[in-house]
Amino acid sequence: MRIFASQHEFAYSWEEVSTNNWRKYCAHNDKASHVLAVDTLSRSLDATTHILRTERLITCRQSMPQWVKRIMGSDDTSYVYEVSYVDAQAKRVTMCSQNMTWSELLQVQEKVVYTPSVEAEGHTRFEQSARIIALCGGWQKIKNSIEEISLERFRQNAAKGREGFERVLEISRQVFAQQREEARQQREGVAA
Amino acid sequence: MSASLAPECNDVKERYDTCFLKWYSEKYLRNTAATDECEPLFGQYKTCLTKKALKERGIDQMLEDAKADNKENDAEYMKPSAR
Repeated sequence: MRIFASQHEFAYSWEEVSTNNWRKYCAHNDKASHVLAVDTLSRSLDATTHILRTERLITCRQSMPQWVKRIMGSDDTSYVYEVSYVDAQAKRVTMCSQNMTWSELLQVQEKVVYTPSVEAEGHTRFEQSARIIALCGGWQKIKNSIEEISLERFRQNAAKGREGFERVLEISRQVFAQQREEARQQREGVAA
Repeated sequence: MSASLAPECNDVKERYDTCFLKWYSEKYLRNTAATDECEPLFGQYKTCLTKKALKERGIDQMLEDAKADNKENDAEYMKPSAR
């Protein structure tokens, strides 16, 4: 089993981060070209706790080393199942995802949590952890290699993911500021 | 926003995503959302997706397995955190 854990602070409010989290894989994010599609499977709002539960299906395509392809099959398209829980009152987003494709051979489970930063006001803390386990039968050496490659790929994707998300947050703030400015000018134009 | 795995559902998906983002940032985050107002649009999108994409690509069975695996997460994260 391989474990991955990392933390990061985004210099954006929890509200901005949790909103833009939904549009992370948009066209502006060139770091997420491996994500081909994101589909929402279900969404429900709990009447008592007001927790918003969402299920999504993420379609990815990534290149694999040849020898891994031979073991796992040569289709580069894979599916990830993600369930997220937003607790707006506690200001907490928890996202749990796992691979669906090749799941009988390799299990990758990821958890991401966004909460307001305790270090800096108006910032958001991002915690990410993952568990990678090769289940395929065979020599321990093969399992170790598959886990190592998966971990390395996960680490690269995680770094790209953060970079890409930073860019999405930056653009979103610029667009929002622009819209506010335009609205202000319109109001002053009307008042004048 | 991102595309759908079923291109024929892209239009209805975009309309739903736009509705959801607006509802999420303007109502849900301000704790003024009583219901999910985008549910009707979601219904249309879901019909498109389930009917064509999931069954055709054989994803529906994989999904059932993944959902079964997720039961523990539901038990843990559907409880409200300390506020």
